[in-house]
Order: sequence, then structure tokens, then C-alpha cells
Amino acid sequence: MLALGKLAVFLFLALTVVYLSVSAYSRSVRREKLEDEWDADPKGDAAARDAFIEAGMRDYDRGLRRRLIWLVYIVPALLILALIYFTNYS
Amino acid sequence: MRYVKWSLLALLVLFVLAFLHYTLPDRDIVRVTSTETRRIDFGENSMFWAAPDVGTSANPTRDVRFINAVKPNGRVIVYRNEDTGWGWPPYFKLDSSNLQAEADDIKSTPETPKWVVMTHYGWRNEFLTIYPNAVAVRPAEGPEERLIPWLNMVILAVLAALAVWLWLMLAQLHERVIEPALIRFADWRAGLRNRFWPR
Repeated sequence: MLALGKLAVFLFLALTVVYLSVSAYSRSVRREKLEDEWDADPKGDAAARDAFIEAGMRDYDRGLRRRLIWLVYIVPALLILALIYFTNYS
Repeated sequence: MRYVKWSLLALLVLFVLAFLHYTLPDRDIVRVTSTETRRIDFGENSMFWAAPDVGTSANPTRDVRFINAVKPNGRVIVYRNEDTGWGWPPYFKLDSSNLQAEADDIKSTPETPKWVVMTHYGWRNEFLTIYPNAVAVRPAEGPEERLIPWLNMVILAVLAALAVWLWLMLAQLHERVIEPALIRFADWRAGLRNRFWPR
């Protein structure tokens, strides 16, 4: 069981690195899209642009897309359970 | 320099392909002839052996289960039957004893062959004394049964998709973080120069 604990700890650390990278990537892509959206059709000065982007990022923080990143932890855990089942009990 | 670069790249690709070929599951149609347990003292080849049974302690030497088999073309193949436990490769195989019992149950003679599909990973190599690790066994339709590696296709497709994703993430990092930082750094240096060595 100690080996299982070791796997759990290292997997958690590795997936945390993945989670943080994916969330940084996803935010960056969203911000770039908002910038492009504003620049294609500007409706004000630089301050209005910043306000538009910040509002868009607040929407993103509340949205489903950001929560979906939790799948980074959930999918590997389910995959391991499925593998244990299919390797040993079928 | 160009040759060095391409040689290193070719080596890397070769290593990745060999790694995948070793680790991904493969299936043979064989006839199990016997099973046995031998004591193995791991040496230079220790990285090609898996783990002791889950829950038992790891010793420099231990008994390993083996499954001896014959392929339809008459050539022999020997599988080891070891737990992978919670380690690499991630098969989470905990049931070596049960698999050994199944293999024992399905043994056959050349006169009345019972063909089975043996799922395994790893390589047989006589120079290193390494064996593929059997993962599962089931009766085959016959020695000619056609096996399509759907699982491997899915795994390779997922790996390719993850590689593309990683590339996109690095491209985004470069565009949004590294390049702006380099530009700011260049501006800062230009500012310093203008201050201390104005033209």
C-alpha cells in the first residue's frame, strides 16, 4: 500500500503541474481572443479596452470552461480505476 | 554540425519508438505448454523486470512466474508473469497468481492444441535474458485469428493529440510571455545605454 501512496503523491504533484499549465494557457488564450475581438472593432480608448478585457476575464473565471480544467485530475483517476478493473477483473 | 543534429534527432525518434514498442500491449496467438517458477537474480537487466507481488517486500532476488508457449509457426516464446503493481508500466497488474492459474488451466499438447491470445508487453531478448510480461490470456478462435490493435491505435492517437496540445501551449507561452519579456529586456538595455553613453 506504501507503493500506492507513493504513486498517489507523485501523480498528484505531476497533475498539479499540468493543471497550473493548462489553466495559465487557457487564460492566455481567452485574453488573446478578447484582445482580438476588441481590436477588430474598437469602441473607445485604451481604458475602455482594458475594462472590456477585464470584464471578459471575469466572465471566464465564473464560466464552465475554467471548471472543466478539473478534468486534468478526474480523467487520470478514472482511467486508473478502469485499468485496474480491466487488467485484473475481466 | 548538420549531421550531428540529424543523428541526434534520429536517435531520439528511435528511442521513443522503441519505448512505445516495449510499453504498449501486444498480442500473440500461442499454445501454452507449461508454467514454472524460477528464482531470478536481477543484474544488468534489472530495468527490464517489473515488481514483486503487490504487498510483498522487494528483495535483490525473488521467484518469478514464467509461462512457456509455442507459436503457430512452431517457434517457442517464454513469458514472465509479474505484477507491475503501482509502478511503471502503468498496467496496474495485481493478479499474477490468478493469471498463472488461468495459464495452467489452458495448457495443451501438440496433438490437441488449444490456441490462446496472450496479451503482453515487453521484449524477449536472449542476450539480456529478458522476457515479455504476460498481462492477460483468453482462448483464441484458432491459430489464424486476426487481431486488430484498436487499443494501441486509440493510445497513439491520444498521445499524438497531447503532443500537439503541448506544442500549442509552448507556442502560446512563447508568443505571450517570452517574446514580450525579451522586448522589455531589450528596451531596458537601450534605456541604460542612452543614459550612460548618450550619443
